[in-house]
Amino acid sequence: MTKTTRVLTVDDSASMRALLNHALTTHGFDVAQADDGQSALEWLQLNEVDVVITDINMPRLDGFGLIEALRNGTRHRDRPILVLTTESSDEKKNRARQMGATGWIVKPFDASKLVAAVRRVSH
Amino acid sequence: MNPEEIQGIFFAECDESLQAAEAGLAACQAGTHDGETINAIFRAVHSIKGGAGAFGFEALQGYTHVFETLLSDVRDGTVTLTAPLVDLLLRALDTLSDHVAAARGEGDTPDDTRLLAELEAAQARNAGNPAPAAAAAPVPAPAPAPAASAPVTMGDDDNGVAVDLDSLLDSLSDDLAPAPAQATAPAPAETAPREWLVHVRPHAGAMTNGGEPVLLLRELARLGGRCVQVDCGEIPPLDLLDWRTGYLGWTFAMPGTVDEAEVRDVFDFVGDDCGVTIGQDQPMPRVQHPAPPAPAVPAATSTAAAIPAGPANDGPGQPAGEPAQAASNAPAPPAPPVAGQSIRIDLVKLDRLIDTVGELVIAQAMLAQRLSNENVTAIEELGMLETLTRDIQESAMAIRAQPIGSVFSRVPRILRELAATTGKHVRLEVSGESTELDKTVIEKLGEPLTHLIRNAVDHGIETAEERVAAGKPAEGTVSLSAEHRSGRIHIRIADDGKGIDQQRVLAKAIEKGIVAPDAQLSREEIDHLIFAPGFSTAQQVSNISGRGVGMDVVRQAVKDLGGRITIESEQGKGTAFILTLPLTLAISEGMIINVGDQSLVVPLANVVESLRPGAGEVKGLGVGRAMLNVRGKFLPILPLHHLVGASGEPASPENGVLIVVETEAAGQAALLVDGISDQRQFVIKSLETHYRSMEGVAGATILGDGCVALILDVDSLVANAATTLLRQTLRDAA
Repeated sequence: MTKTTRVLTVDDSASMRALLNHALTTHGFDVAQADDGQSALEWLQLNEVDVVITDINMPRLDGFGLIEALRNGTRHRDRPILVLTTESSDEKKNRARQMGATGWIVKPFDASKLVAAVRRVSH
Repeated sequence: MNPEEIQGIFFAECDESLQAAEAGLAACQAGTHDGETINAIFRAVHSIKGGAGAFGFEALQGYTHVFETLLSDVRDGTVTLTAPLVDLLLRALDTLSDHVAAARGEGDTPDDTRLLAELEAAQARNAGNPAPAAAAAPVPAPAPAPAASAPVTMGDDDNGVAVDLDSLLDSLSDDLAPAPAQATAPAPAETAPREWLVHVRPHAGAMTNGGEPVLLLRELARLGGRCVQVDCGEIPPLDLLDWRTGYLGWTFAMPGTVDEAEVRDVFDFVGDDCGVTIGQDQPMPRVQHPAPPAPAVPAATSTAAAIPAGPANDGPGQPAGEPAQAASNAPAPPAPPVAGQSIRIDLVKLDRLIDTVGELVIAQAMLAQRLSNENVTAIEELGMLETLTRDIQESAMAIRAQPIGSVFSRVPRILRELAATTGKHVRLEVSGESTELDKTVIEKLGEPLTHLIRNAVDHGIETAEERVAAGKPAEGTVSLSAEHRSGRIHIRIADDGKGIDQQRVLAKAIEKGIVAPDAQLSREEIDHLIFAPGFSTAQQVSNISGRGVGMDVVRQAVKDLGGRITIESEQGKGTAFILTLPLTLAISEGMIINVGDQSLVVPLANVVESLRPGAGEVKGLGVGRAMLNVRGKFLPILPLHHLVGASGEPASPENGVLIVVETEAAGQAALLVDGISDQRQFVIKSLETHYRSMEGVAGATILGDGCVALILDVDSLVANAATTLLRQTLRDAA
């Protein structure tokens, strides 16, 4: 990797954020955190990022709302976005894709699965 | 942070979630059945489940899964929330609490068998489903772990695929000898595991949503795959090439140690957007042609027939002579474009052209100046050159120009979403959507405009009941308009809502310490307080227009575009935001003024008028201060001489020239200068990139005589001067 991949993790659960942060930073990623879709949007107004990982069910603005806002904007339109999901059914996956997600991470995840998913969508 | 600490956070969160669920269920018991309450309960349990899985508390995870499934059905309305069900949920919550305690090591895992059966029965009964046969929680089976011994042939480098394509050339001859036909997904042979083939063809969709097919190929390579073939046979002649179509296909030889599931896993994210076939005897997936866009060209002319149909189907790995292939190719290529219709240009090339035209404008001005210095005037060719330069400049600008409709067209959708979240139905009136302006400006306009629309609906338009009570139609109206006016574009975003409540704005600004409690502000100044950083009048933080960071950001965005934003608001009638933007960011019109030994540029956008004051039009006001009477309106006179630190004697208002300027924050003012020497277009050079940013200076330009002149940032200059002069006056008075 010529430059550190920067990941924004969006989850209303502090422990989930801490888990993601721990797993990603130990694998050399640069991690930023937001506690819901709305604060992620605010953060993204001022910052650049390589990959966004977002939970679906969050207060204020949920994961699909965040994806829609980013895909409809200009600046982060082509950003890879991974959703955290507890279900891996094809129906859920199709829905995630239709909503504009690049891919998904099925919870619970281990670090290697997480890192593989992030690498699959980032340079 | 170590894993134990993270676990500590998880348990603290469990406590919060349990409390939230408890509060929610208590509300349900009291008769509140609204979606948000139920969603909050669901979210609480869901969050515990997510963490339980992550930390490996299987009993807790299994239990929460069943609990969550029932809640999900309640949320979706397939299960009705009755009083007995609320009781059951409360009991389930108590057991959940015990489960959390057990996971924490504070007690034994509770016996949840009966309760789980009850939860499942409640779900099945209400949903009309047969009761599930097994009570065990269906935890998703973990995906097979990647083979630890998978050979890694490549590093992380981005040119991995390119490297592999090279190795393809070396090994192609070996691989062309067909391996014995073999069924898909070769069972790992006990002896020597055999290589097997994967054919990959990314379709158009693989590039959407931030997807990047190259990364998938890289992952195949990382699993030990070798690219043995690239199918280029589908690439059409250049004029038929559609950028959205995936014409290329890759064939990878995967080592026998890698199984099919691992490879399928790689393509998990792309679904049908990437064709994948597995096995020696399988063909490369076909090219998928996206639906052609609405034909811009009238029916195909005879030239279409002259163009040979798709390429010959003799590409390797492609079953030759398959009729369906030719058929699928035929309708896809759009009719050949009529010459002169449109071409695609790399934006970088276009910017280079614009830059060069800017230099041409400067060179032309320098030539004119030089000839004038040599006393060579009234040359016809010079006039021609000037006209041509201007024509070229306008043509170059026109290439970059786009109608503002592309931004406006996003608004109806925003309004629909807002109607869903706020319940306010708003009618949209749009005019001037064909007004053109620079692409860069258009691109940067989207976010501020979206914010203003959201703001108008959220804060401006009242609820239907309030509107009817105020004698207005129940449905609010937002109107958008754009027009060219004296070389700038005016965009107006107006609503017919309640207008800005000035008393509340002022009170809030004082409370926030944005203005002094005894400040005397004009109506206009109060309205503009909403642009102050951190200002928000919404009683409750709203999901829609955020937490008051927005208007400040909007103003900054408009300012970055070289524009200004002003407000017209009338209480009870509505609010209008007016954005005044330059048509382009590269070239601007300005007035060249002289102050002492300096030449400076005042952007024409700020200039209202320039005048030599007549007798009695300048009134002294204390020592060193004066006001200008412009048709009954008094404006402060700001001697530019002091402000820019020019040498020589300053002009007095009587023998100098006064330029009346309009600013966004400080209203109008009159700049006192020695004289005006020219008014023309100039190319803006950023001071930040060439020197550093300076207060009061917006940039620099090169004048006709080759000198560098600073472009004044009139807004900040006037705002600062007002306070400086005030201080000076106070000092003089003391």
